[in-house]
Parts: sequence; C-alpha cells; structure tokens
Amino acid sequence: MAFTGAESPDAMTNRWIRGIVGCFAALHVALTPSSAGAAPASRLEFNRDVRPILAEHCLNCHGFDDKTRKGGLRLDLREDALKGGKSGKASLVPSRPQDSELVHRLTTSDPDDLMPPAKTGKPLTVSQIETLKRWVAEGAEYQPHWAFIPPREPALPTPRQTGWARSPLDLFVLARLESEGLKPRPEADRTTLIRRASLDLTGLPPTPAEIDAFLSDSTDTAYEKVVDRLLASAQYGERMAVDWMDAARYADTHGYHIDSARDMSAWRDGVIRAFNQNQPYDQFTVEQLAGDLLPGATVDQKVASGFNRNHMINYEGGAIAEEYHTAYIVDRINTTATVWLGLTVACAQCHDHKYDPVTTRDYYSLYAIFNGVPENGLDGRHGNAVPTVSLPSPAQDAERLRLNAAVKTAETRLAQILPSVDAAQAEWESAPLPEPADKAKAVPEAIQKLRAVPPPSRTTAQMAEIQKYYREEVSPEMRRLRDELKVARKAKEDAEKAIPTSMVMAEMAQPRDTFVLVRGQYDKKGDKVGRALPAALPGLPDGEQANRLGLARWLVSPGHPLTARVTVNRFWQMYFGNGLVKSAENFGTQGDLPTHPELMDWLAVRFIRSGWDVKAFHKMVLMSATYRQDSRAPKELYAQDPENRLLGRGPRVRLQAEFLRDLALSVSGLLDPRVGGAAVFPYQPAGLWEELMSRQDNDAFTAQKYVASRGADLYRRTMYTFIKRTSPHPSLSNFDAPDRQVCSVRRPRTNTPLQALALMNDPTYVEAARHLGLRALQAAPDDPGRIAWAFRQAVGRRPSAAEIDVLVRLLGDQRRTFDRDPDAARRLLAVGDSASTVANPSEAAAWAVVAAALLNLDETLTKG
Amino acid sequence: MNSHQEIQRLLTRRHFFGRMSAGIGGAALASVMNPGLLAGSAAGGPAGALHFPPKVKRVIWLFMSGGPSHIDLFDYKPQLRNHHGEQLPASIRMGQRLTGMTSGQSSFPCVAPMANWRQHGQSGLWMSELLPNMGRVADDLCVIKSMWTEAINHDPAVTFIQTGHQQAGRPALGAWLSYGIGSENQQLPGFVVMISQGSGNKTDQPLSTRYWGSGFLPGEHQGVRFRSQGDPVLFLGNPPGMDPASRRRMLDATGALNSMAADSFGDPEINARIAQYEMAYRMQTSVPELSDLSGESPATLEAYGVRDGATDGGFARNCLLARRMVERGVRFVQLFHRGWDQHGDLPKQIRGQCQDVDRPSAALIEDLKQRGLLEDTLVVWGGEFGRTVYSQGALTQDNHGRDHHGRCYTVLLAGAGVKAGFTFGATDDYCYNIVENPVHVHDLNATLLHLMGLDHTRLTFKFQGRQFRLTDIHGELVRPILA
Repeated sequence: MAFTGAESPDAMTNRWIRGIVGCFAALHVALTPSSAGAAPASRLEFNRDVRPILAEHCLNCHGFDDKTRKGGLRLDLREDALKGGKSGKASLVPSRPQDSELVHRLTTSDPDDLMPPAKTGKPLTVSQIETLKRWVAEGAEYQPHWAFIPPREPALPTPRQTGWARSPLDLFVLARLESEGLKPRPEADRTTLIRRASLDLTGLPPTPAEIDAFLSDSTDTAYEKVVDRLLASAQYGERMAVDWMDAARYADTHGYHIDSARDMSAWRDGVIRAFNQNQPYDQFTVEQLAGDLLPGATVDQKVASGFNRNHMINYEGGAIAEEYHTAYIVDRINTTATVWLGLTVACAQCHDHKYDPVTTRDYYSLYAIFNGVPENGLDGRHGNAVPTVSLPSPAQDAERLRLNAAVKTAETRLAQILPSVDAAQAEWESAPLPEPADKAKAVPEAIQKLRAVPPPSRTTAQMAEIQKYYREEVSPEMRRLRDELKVARKAKEDAEKAIPTSMVMAEMAQPRDTFVLVRGQYDKKGDKVGRALPAALPGLPDGEQANRLGLARWLVSPGHPLTARVTVNRFWQMYFGNGLVKSAENFGTQGDLPTHPELMDWLAVRFIRSGWDVKAFHKMVLMSATYRQDSRAPKELYAQDPENRLLGRGPRVRLQAEFLRDLALSVSGLLDPRVGGAAVFPYQPAGLWEELMSRQDNDAFTAQKYVASRGADLYRRTMYTFIKRTSPHPSLSNFDAPDRQVCSVRRPRTNTPLQALALMNDPTYVEAARHLGLRALQAAPDDPGRIAWAFRQAVGRRPSAAEIDVLVRLLGDQRRTFDRDPDAARRLLAVGDSASTVANPSEAAAWAVVAAALLNLDETLTKG
Repeated sequence: MNSHQEIQRLLTRRHFFGRMSAGIGGAALASVMNPGLLAGSAAGGPAGALHFPPKVKRVIWLFMSGGPSHIDLFDYKPQLRNHHGEQLPASIRMGQRLTGMTSGQSSFPCVAPMANWRQHGQSGLWMSELLPNMGRVADDLCVIKSMWTEAINHDPAVTFIQTGHQQAGRPALGAWLSYGIGSENQQLPGFVVMISQGSGNKTDQPLSTRYWGSGFLPGEHQGVRFRSQGDPVLFLGNPPGMDPASRRRMLDATGALNSMAADSFGDPEINARIAQYEMAYRMQTSVPELSDLSGESPATLEAYGVRDGATDGGFARNCLLARRMVERGVRFVQLFHRGWDQHGDLPKQIRGQCQDVDRPSAALIEDLKQRGLLEDTLVVWGGEFGRTVYSQGALTQDNHGRDHHGRCYTVLLAGAGVKAGFTFGATDDYCYNIVENPVHVHDLNATLLHLMGLDHTRLTFKFQGRQFRLTDIHGELVRPILA
C-alpha cells in the first residue's frame, strides 16, 4: 500500500476555504490541525479545548442568532469578542485575562454580573474557567470549526512502535495510543477475524467450511481473499443497504394515523444493487437525491431518487394538506442535511441556528429546492403517493399494450356504430311504444312528449335529450358495445393497478413559491425566497443550478468539507461501534470532536481520491492492523476505555437487530437467501397490530391485520421484514432498530431483559434452536463432537473442554427430562411452521435446548 | 472482583431494567466498577439525581384516546341550552382553524350539553350524570378546565401531548421519566402501557407505538406494553414443552459459559448480559404474579367492575392492574382507552364510553386512597383534545356529532401533589375559548415532571447537537394547582 504524502489543495478547496474563512471572519487563524499523534500540546487549542465550552455555555445568548443575542455581545467571532458588547468593555484582551471582561464576568462574586446567569442552569466548572483564562492568556486565538475546513491530507505520524502498522491509518491510531501510554492489542486469531469480517460485511456468520478454508490457507493473501470474497458476495449489498435504509427512514407503511401500506421495495433493491455493483458514492449520492433530474434519466435512476420520498405521508381525515406538505419538505431537508452534511439544520426552521452558520433564510432557500415536487399534502390512502414511476414486468408491459388496444377497439366500434343507431332511433320513434311489463321501466313522460314532436320542429336540446335517452336506455347494440368497453376498461385498469410502482422525486414545470415560515409555522408566511444553498457555505460548483441536481453535485464536489468525512465516519461506526466523531449525525459546533482528527481527514481525502470507491474503503480498513486487533483485553483496559474510543483493541459489540435473527436462521439452516423483492411477514405475536388499529376500518385499508407469511418467506433475511411504522416488528424494536419515522444514522445498543426473553422464547429462535439441534445430531458420531459442531456454528471457534462439559451436562439433564415427558418434547418440537422428521423426539428436544443455550450466548450475539 | 461479584452487583442495581453499552453506558459502567456511585444515587435514573424532592412517586395516566367531549362531561355551561341550534357566533370562533372534516360546513349549530348534570361533594363540582361514580370522588379531583393544544388532528395531538412535539421522533413522557428517575422495581419495567377498546366509536383512532416510544433516548426507556392476550409481556412465557426447570438449567449453562467468556474477554458487557438474563427469568415469575387477579377480593373486583363478560373493552381490568403495578413500584402506567372520537352518533357513543370508564376510574382513585397509595401516586384522566360546541353534520333531535377542538378541554388530576376538590381555569360561555388560566400541554407535562422531582428545563438529552427536553423550549409550571 502506497503511503502518499500531502498534496496541495486544488482550486475547489481554495474556494471552500475562502468561503469558510469569510463566513467566520476568522482571521489570524492557524489552519494547521493539531497533531493528534504527538503528546498533548502544551498550548490550548480552540477547537478542542475552548469551543466546546463556549458552545455549551455561552453561544446560546452570544452566538450567531442575532434575535436572541444578549447585550449586543457575540463570542463566536473573535473580532466581535475583542470589541465587546454594549457595555463597551472588551470581552477579550489577548494575553491579558485580568483585563478581559469575559474573565471578569466568569469569576465575579456579584451574582447579577456572573455569567452564565444562574437561571440558565449551566454554570462553568472551575477547570473550565481556568481553561478560558489560560486561553486568553495564550492570546485568545480562534479557529474555524474543524468540520468546515476542507480535509487536507495530513502528514503521517511516526509512532515509536514499528512493525505493527499495516496501513497508514494504523499510524494515526498507534500514535494516539502511544500518546496515552497504551499499546495496541495483537492480531486476533483467524477464526475471530473471519467471523468479524463476515458479520461486518455481510451481516451473516461464516460457515464452518468457510472458517476451515481460511484456517488451512497458508498463503500470504489468505485474509485478503476472505475480504474480497465477502465484498463480492450478494449479501454485502444487503448488509450495506440496512444502514442506508435507517438513514433513508425506509418503511413499508406511511407512518401517520391509519398507517397503511406503501411499496418502496424497488428503491430498496436498487440500493442493494448499487452497493453490490460498487457504484461510486458520488454517483450514488446524485442518484439518491436527484436521479430523476439527470439527463435522460433511466427508470433505475428515477427509482433511486425515491430516497427523499421515504418520509412519512399522511392522509388523516380532516388534516390540513399544507401542514403536512410542509412537514414532508422539512423532513427532506433534515434528512439530507443529516446524511450528507452531518449537520442539524432543523433549528433554523424557526430561528437562525444558534451555533452553526445556517440562517432561517438559508433554511427556506433549501426548502425551495425541495418544494417543486408534484405531490399532494394528503395522499397515500391507496398505496404509493404521487409522483410515482411505473415498474411493469415485461409480461405486464405486453399485457398493458394488449389491453390498451382492446379499449381502443371497443371505443372505435362504439363510434362506428352511431349512424346505424341513429337510423334505429328514427324507426323506434315512428313505431308505437309497446306496453311495458314493468311500470318502472316505462318510457318517461318527457320522452314520450318529445317523441310526439316531429324531428324538424325539435330544438337542439330536445334532439340531444331524446338521442341520449335512446342510446342509453333503448338501443341494444349500444348497450352491448358499452358493456364491452366497460369490461375492456376494467381489465386495463386492473392490469394497471397490478403493476408495481415506486415513489420518486420529480419537478413541477412551474415550481411553487416558497416563503420563510415564521417560527416554522406552515400558515405564517414571511418573505418570499428563491432556491439557494446556505449563504455561509461556499457556492455551487461552476455551471450548476440551485436545484436538487446542483445540490447533489455540490455535496460531492471534491473540496466539500463535510460529505466525505460524514460518510467515512458512518463506515467507521459500522466496524468499530462508534465513529471517530461519535455524534455521527452532527459534525457542527455542538457535535462531538473527532477522537482522531487527522485520521478522519486522511480517510476522507483517501475516499475522495479513490473516486468515492466504497468497497476499496472497506477493504482498506479491514486490512488494517487496527481492525484486526484482538478484542480480548485486560479488564482494566475495558474500564479505562469502555467504548474503545482509542481503538486500542478489536471491536466488540452486540449484533444489530437484523443480524441477530439472521444469524439464528443461518446457523439453523433455515435462512432463505433470496435477495430483494416484496416485504415479508415473519412470526409475530397475535394482535400486536390489531390492538392499535381502527377496528371497523380494518378491511378498508392495507397493513391493518398481520397475516404471517408461509413457507420460505418466514425465513428471509430480517431486512425484508415488513416495517409498519406505528407498530414495528418486536424482533426489530426490541433490539434498538429505529422505527423509521425519521432519519437515523446511529443506533443505540441496549441490553435489556426483554431482549433476553425474545431470544429465549420468540418462536423464531425456538424453531432455529430445534433445527440447529437436529443438524448437530447428524453432524458427528458422539455428543462432544456434536456439541463442538453446534458451538462452532454459533460462535465460530471450537469450545474448550470445560465448555463442552457444561453443555454435556445440560444435554444429559434434558434427555432425562424429556424421556420422562415425551409429550413435552413433541410440543417443543412443534414450535414453528417448519416440519422435521424426528425419530426420537426426546433426543431432538434435548438437543434443541442445548442449541438454545448456544444461541443465547453473549459470544453468539456479539461481534468480537 | 470476580465475575460473580460483578453480576451480583448488577443484579442489585437500582437502575436495573436496562443499560446501554455505549453513551450513558459509560456512566453506568462506572457505577458497575464503583459501587459507591450506586450507593450515592439514592434516587435518579441515568440522567442523574432528582432536581428536588418528589411529591409524586408514581403516575397512572388514564388516557382517553380520541378526545372526550368536555362540553358533555365536565365543563358545564347550562346557558348553552339557550343557544342550542343557533349558529356559533363569529365573535367566538374568531376565524380559528377547523379540521378538514367541518371546515366545509355551511352551518355551525351549537349543541347544548347532553344529559342531566349534578353537583358533587363539598366542592360542588358539576359533572354529567353520565359519570355517576366519578362524581363520588369529586372532592379528590383537581379539575383543569383550561387545557389546550395547537393540534387539531389525532395523530399530531396525541404525539404532542405524549412527546411534546407534533411530529414523530421524540421520547414520550414515560420514557423521559424512566430516563430521569429510573425504575423503582428491579423486576418490572418503569413505564408500562395498557390498551383497552372503547364501546363508543369502533372506527376508533389508531394508536402508534411512538406514543410510548423512546424517540432518541435509548430503547430501554420505551413503554412496555402489557397485553391482555397472549403473554402479558412479549415472549415472557417459555415455549410449549419447556418447563421452568429446563429453562433454569439452560440459563445456568448459558450463564456458566458467559462467565467463562467474561473472564476470557475482559468485557464487562458480558456480565451485564448475564444479569439481564437473570432479570428476564425473574420477570417470568413477577409478571404473572402481577397479572394474576385471583388474590383480589370479590369486593375489589366488583368495585372496579372486573368480571367475566365485562363489555368495557378491558378498561376495568387495566385499572386494577395499574393499581397492582404502582403497588410494586412501576413509575408510570399509562392506559389508553380508545373510542372517544364522536364525530357522529355522539349521544349513543358517549354513553358507552362513559359506562366503560366511569366505575373503574372512580374505583381506582378510591382504592389507591384506601391503601394509602394516593399520597404519593398521581392519577391523570384525559385525552388529546376536546370537542367542538357546534355539531359536525346535521343537528337533529336525537343525533349529532362534535369535531375535534384543541382550543380548550378538560383534564382531571387526583392524588399526590395537587389540590383536591379544586377547579382551575375557565372557558367562555360556548366552551370554545379559554377565558382564565390557560394550561398548555407543555405546562401540564412540566408540572407532572415537577411533581416527580424533575425540572423540565433541566431534564435534557443531547441529540443532534441540541439539548432536547420534553417541553421543547416552552412549558410553565402550573403552580396554583399544586398542593
């Protein structure tokens, strides 16, 4: 791997810097990032040491938002702070804390003058005050917020320990560890490595055969081959899609009120494909945000643009359309800003952002960019909401053509027959009316009177009236042809309805006007605004317009300070449990600082320079020594760095919701590996939906009653489970999967007794244990061998003798239990839909309990 | 410290019901490593210690889902009878927005309160005869007649009162309490939700799990649904054919293997997992014991109206369960009783709804009082909004409906921390606008938190770079109602 040196920033980067520096008026600023690898600098650093204090305790009243600014004082800009507020006293006098009003106000004994005011409930600690004093004494230098400075490739650190690093990224990690007096852990054993890599890249455990192949591969590239194989597997795209579905708030229902079904599976499958084909992330971004606006957009590109139609959609009776249309656009802005900018712009919906450079006007200028979709405020009652794109199969396409032609034919025949019908009408008029058998069917009096009027004497209206009556009520030919047309049209409509659609973005020819909404309220319109990007951020790339396409291309322009950082941080989070910036959703001034700022920049630059090559990025990280470390560590290390922020050991985190169930299905042999398609309905306790849904409307809407799938669909990967937003599947919600109501780029990881209950008693896991037990029975001739086989399925490694002992004892106890009560064994073996032929139920049931014990091991549930 | 000792410590932790392996977990982990931290935090959840001594230790919120008519039940305006059938004056409506269900109506005839009304108790509280039993506890009630909300539709209105925001994504009050105070009982969750089906409107408004969701708080704070069908708590029961002894043996084996792993890996999370499995095992006993009403006296069952074939959709049983939960230290029990959405057929439907809830609601308050629990338990009775004074659809002799109305409605409180036999706030002659002491949903939530020892401006959680709180940037403590 080439260790490339720093390269000079390109023109784009220069433009960014000008814009950013202009925005913050941050003069006299050292742009050089701190050296994370070196021992802690003796000088304080604004971004690391001072800004967090100001942001948390001061900027709410002395920040960017001029409407809430107190005393005319602004502390986010050095120039303003030097001038001071209305009092005329300089808040900061560089190098002279004793003359700085800021220091005085932090330390005064006069409660009226003391800052922050007691009522804010945010007093400074003694050490925070000392930090600020020292910072003033050191010259009160500011820095622009780190994340707004475009990443530049830092020089590689030179840690003392040699021979450990496998990738440049390891040098950053190692240098930081050394600065803390720590050492990295040695490389994990191969079984651990392949299990970790498999779970990270596919969400599935390795099979024992795959493990054995790796263990017996003595070539230098054995591990690399594993990584390459995993990246090339179809399951890689599924695994990547899961996190993207969280970000995109993907679901199978609309989310409000009745919460009936939608179908965005085509969008989801497109995401899986894009990852599997390793579509460069910049192209992927453009298609997700604005695929519909690409010249000659393909159907797939239009489908991809549905990213920003995945938000909740309402049709509650009585709701006000404009209120919800506003909510959709707000959701799009917040989601887009979170996913690509790592910024929380939602504050600016009501007021200028207090901490980050986003004004209300900026917010509504972005709003205008998303306000041109030909959509309805209330929609979705009957499935997907417009605009949609139709996705017929070839057969459906042919059928549609055929039925269109049939309708045309019927229409033509109806038109052609009119002259002969008119002639028949004349005959009918001249003949006497027969006596009707049913009085109700008698010719109405008005028509009878008209018949009496000789045609030449009739008015135009009268002629039309009698003709209409004859054609609709009398003429048998007309009736027949009309019925034919009706049938043809119905057939066409039904066929159209059967064609799947996907919700997409589109642009109205004439976009709606956009106004600033006062305090964010949909019905309080302020100034009219046009489309624009936040004024404080640098402008669009040359030749781009301020529309969605321009926005998307701007996000992935090479000098953009945020997109690449935010993206690689999410990838990092996928492997290590936390991003380098822990607040993956917020890189603004209120967000967490990166633990390894230079590594973050190095990774971002690397990613951009690779052509936004996602698979290459994964491979780079997975090949690193940092990733390959053993997660076994002395307890003191776990205590010292419980979240492994310093990366001094391998990652060890519980599997996310989907992959827990996938693992159980996989090791039991039940998993149906089909990729993509319609959502499925695995087991769910009866009544969970129905209790919450409207009783009488149950049959009038979709997704009100839960009907479990049958057969193979019960065993699909969990990412295909139908997601009903108002009642998420317990196997997801119990294990911290977001309910997909809003964008989510970081999942919590809890550990609760409800999880334990689910893993022990949910029929999914009981059924999986049943099958894993049966497979074990057939896998080896003796009990210890069978136990070892099943243990490897669940955990990867071979069990120790002590571990086998524990399970052999359990097996023996359960054999005796079920021998005494074979009926209990049969009942246990009847859990789940899948049949299994069992010669000895007591034996099979005992093995099911042993398998259940294995499926509930911490090590099984954890990527270690 | 060996694994076993650590597990024992986890098993006796106050904030037991769940833990995070990240974020708050850092602090929680510190408490695992340092038992002194635990001993020091006599009260308080993961958010830290309480802000002040609580008046209320537990809350039972009888949530009347759909929006009961304050006009027909609590906010007595006899003079409205003089305006029955008259158009709602523009001076009252003042151009306020209406839902799409009635905004197109050409006529807005006022509807007088139905049924007869009676005064009750020392306080002389007027209440509809449709609620005879609740009248009996009038002197325990603190009646807020001036509740209001901006929302005019169910989904945003319930989301608002539950989470402080009309759009999805934020934690519910109960989740905030779990985060702020933690659980009092190591074997039961701190926030429980129960649902019953009203006999009024059967096209009842759907509920959403987000009404008791944890939003951006860790998932362990979400409300746990206690259900009347199947396992009371999801997956509580062992699978068919697996007896408790087998389960215990399986757990012993898993625990033994996990302990070995804990020693080998050094990761304290493994011990936490062992502890959660043990907790799950204990719940398999404690929850059925909680749900088992066979120990309740016939008199108690009769007082609540719990009996076979009861037609109240399960509300009575849920009320009795709520008492059993607060007895066992569950912090926040929320009952959702559905069917209060009387757009049409109000005269018939509201009778059914009142029959569902009248007796159990009164019995609950009396039962809590008799057991001394009302001294530190607060009962809340109310929904997401009220209903319009004008008829939705035609007003006929025997039928009419009322649309949603957020400008004012009534909520009842009873128990710890609030004045008894007290009425707060007033509406105009049409029950349409508040004329005195408005109480916004944020104000109510701020007050509930206060009563439980939490300052609503200080109970915060940092998410997306902002300190979020239940009351957003609003909410005033309603001091005049405090005892």
